Amino acid sequence: MKWGILLRFPQLRIGHMKPRFPIMQGGMGVGISLSGLSSAVANAGGIGTISGTGINIEDLRFHIRKAKASIKGEGYIGVNVLFAMNDFAEKMKAAIEEKVDFIISGAGISRDMYSWGKESGIPVISIVSSARLAKMSERLGASAVVVEGNEAGGHLGTERPLFDILQEVVEAVKIPVIAAGGIMTGRDIAHAIRIGASGVQMGTRFVASHECDAPLSFKDKYVHAKQEDIVMVKTTVGLEGRAIKNHFTEQISDNKKVKIKNCIDCLKNCSYRFCTMDSLITSMDGDCENGLVFAGARVHEIKEILPVQTIINNLKAEYEAFD
Amino acid sequence: MAEVLERVTKIIVDRLGVEESEVKLEASFKDDLGADSLDVVELVMELEDEFDMEISDDDAEKIATVGDAVNYIKASQ
Repeated sequence: MKWGILLRFPQLRIGHMKPRFPIMQGGMGVGISLSGLSSAVANAGGIGTISGTGINIEDLRFHIRKAKASIKGEGYIGVNVLFAMNDFAEKMKAAIEEKVDFIISGAGISRDMYSWGKESGIPVISIVSSARLAKMSERLGASAVVVEGNEAGGHLGTERPLFDILQEVVEAVKIPVIAAGGIMTGRDIAHAIRIGASGVQMGTRFVASHECDAPLSFKDKYVHAKQEDIVMVKTTVGLEGRAIKNHFTEQISDNKKVKIKNCIDCLKNCSYRFCTMDSLITSMDGDCENGLVFAGARVHEIKEILPVQTIINNLKAEYEAFD
Repeated sequence: MAEVLERVTKIIVDRLGVEESEVKLEASFKDDLGADSLDVVELVMELEDEFDMEISDDDAEKIATVGDAVNYIKASQ
């Protein structure tokens, strides 16, 4: 790709999807990206993602229907479920029945997911953190891959920064590559596109939006976070995760066990040191001191809660100004 | 039986770069043959091609040793 004048966003195409802006909103669980955020992003010209992790099937169906009903004109909504969850297959099949525009997953590779996508004609997107996994996903039938670098929030698949991996993935596959992890400004988007990405996925920036489904206390945690408040935690999923420091992260910072109130065996493989699900539900319910507040590496750059449309308009203006 | 084991062994040797003598029925892909989780997925994909079958995520997760793979293939043939 030439380093010339870009001026406008390139047209992203994934399956039947042709959003006005090459910006996907990353799925964030538990309960952070549901119908509110995903439909707002879809209506603002991006691609919205409902996180199906940690909510029950009926709620997932409800949020898909609600999001679809709120979309005015063209707009795209997909569902993300963590592959590490026991109810992964059941949730993805429900999402397909509800005719979402795409399904997306990370934290492990599902081969079944591609068969379901083929049978239903729904694009399947994999979240990857290496060129090797990207190639495997392409071979299995992925319509696109999201490359997530270490700057992302929540569970992480790599210690390498996004812009190191992105180049390798772009060279390894022919399908669209979406850059994710620490994307915060239009300048970051321009950088990713110059390297060869077809678009970006953003999570953290969209949490601090009016439409985000998270409680205000969760968004406030984002707006007030300083760089030194960002910590790494090892969750019971067996992966490192990035979060904002609070009472809960202090509590799990040593290796002691934390009492589990009510285990529903939600993970395929759990370390049972504490309950990751319960900690995420606690913060979703508004207690952001005793629950886990996942966030990306640049959360401290966010200063205010804005409408989704404003966030996207700002990204567009920054992108165009940068060129 | 012998034929399935032979074909499985060949795939493992090619894919993981191990010696044929290391590929014993009780050998664990991850602990004994040095495979990471992606190697295992790739192996499963090659077994699917070789034996013209489909192995679901759930079944694939239960395949930990060479013997597990051989038994799974025999049971579904």
